[in-house]
Amino acid sequence: MLTVSDLVVKRGPRVTLADISFTLPAGKTLAVVGESGAGKSTLIAAILGLLRPSSGEVTWDGAPTRDARPALVMQEPRAAFNPTMSLRRSIMEPVVAQNISLAGGRLERLCAGLELPLDLLDRRPDQVSIGQAQRAGILRALIASPPLVLFDEPLSALDAVTQKHTARLIAELQAEEGFAALIVTHDLGYAVAHGDQIAVLKSGRIEEIADAQDFALNPRSDYCRTLRDAAIALGALEAVA
Amino acid sequence: MTLTVTGLSAIRSGRTILHPTSLVIHPRERIGIVGASGSGKSTLGHALIDDLRQQGHSVAHVPQSPDEALDPLRSMAFHWREAEEALGLQAGHADREGLFRALKIEGGDLRKRPWGWSRGMQQRFVIAMALIGAPDLIALDEPTSALDPVVAAATMELLSGFLDGKDTAMALITHDLGLAALRVDRLLVMADGHLVEEGRTEDILERPETQAAKALSAHRNWMALPC
Repeated sequence: MLTVSDLVVKRGPRVTLADISFTLPAGKTLAVVGESGAGKSTLIAAILGLLRPSSGEVTWDGAPTRDARPALVMQEPRAAFNPTMSLRRSIMEPVVAQNISLAGGRLERLCAGLELPLDLLDRRPDQVSIGQAQRAGILRALIASPPLVLFDEPLSALDAVTQKHTARLIAELQAEEGFAALIVTHDLGYAVAHGDQIAVLKSGRIEEIADAQDFALNPRSDYCRTLRDAAIALGALEAVA
Repeated sequence: MTLTVTGLSAIRSGRTILHPTSLVIHPRERIGIVGASGSGKSTLGHALIDDLRQQGHSVAHVPQSPDEALDPLRSMAFHWREAEEALGLQAGHADREGLFRALKIEGGDLRKRPWGWSRGMQQRFVIAMALIGAPDLIALDEPTSALDPVVAAATMELLSGFLDGKDTAMALITHDLGLAALRVDRLLVMADGHLVEEGRTEDILERPETQAAKALSAHRNWMALPC
């Protein structure tokens, strides 16, 4: 279980995250939504152990999260890969770096789950579609069987149909593999459809954290209601009488 | 004025990326050009804008991100003046106050450069520039995808409100049928460089016929919420 307790991150005099506390059990999904500058990416960096909190703790099953080797899926699929290397080489890097022996057929099984033809992995990132590149990014994140996977705006570079398709593949793999997912997104529709819990970040603080369905039906604060109504006005969520 | 284009096509590196496409847009009409990445919707949008301009129609274009429309080294006042000049207007002759009020950017400091404004205000400024001189058509290519949802929703709302009762037609180019469905009367569905389906928005939502329209329609939102 991921436990974030009283996390504070300051950059110079500015507080970028204040008093963040939540838990994310194994196998569950927490969607973190909020506007630009709310602190979403800082939260990811803190959980990955890429920055030192000013105070508070981030742990996985009681140990520093770094020990659990959480994986990250990035926003811009093509930029997330080394442009001079085949996808396969990039994907195998975590396996090589962690000196893991892959279970027989694991790569093939993940490829099938992500609907990626095996021979596609011999191409470079600019030789595949953005949707395929993002599925390869997910494959790289999952290959070493991390207990926790962080997704930083994983769908925002994809078109509307590909977004829903990719979201479904992520959910299916999560059910098989059992990893905990923390998904940062500005798309409340995605958060409601695929999150168990939703946390709304605003100006570095958690404005509300709630069960996804409850949140969609009955946001508690004015700000959260504004977010929900904006998602409806953009057609991401549909209001039906 | 009714806008008509006939047989628009485009070839890039020997590959046909837009097969001959014809369409008619009536005054006040709001159309959506929708399709997946690489379907040719932006190409159709560009070809449409070029062709109509060559015919002598006034067509305004709002790109996806204000970064594409605004020079970071120039003040907002400079951009505004340039837009007026491009339309042959004398400085100060556009109804700036009216447009700024309609798009809720009257508080913006024109002496500042784009980055002195929030992105939402920048995008609304670009839309205001596009609306100078009441164009025959305003074409918007993914106008909300670079914005936060709350800002994006407000921008579409303000633009819709401004266009109500005016003759300016609107073409919304987007991969997101959920967004288009709320804003346009007629949909044009693109796939593989072809216009594969065209019809009233409700009809395509309820009875999509082609594979492309079915996929867009089935994936138009994440879920329906009872409320």
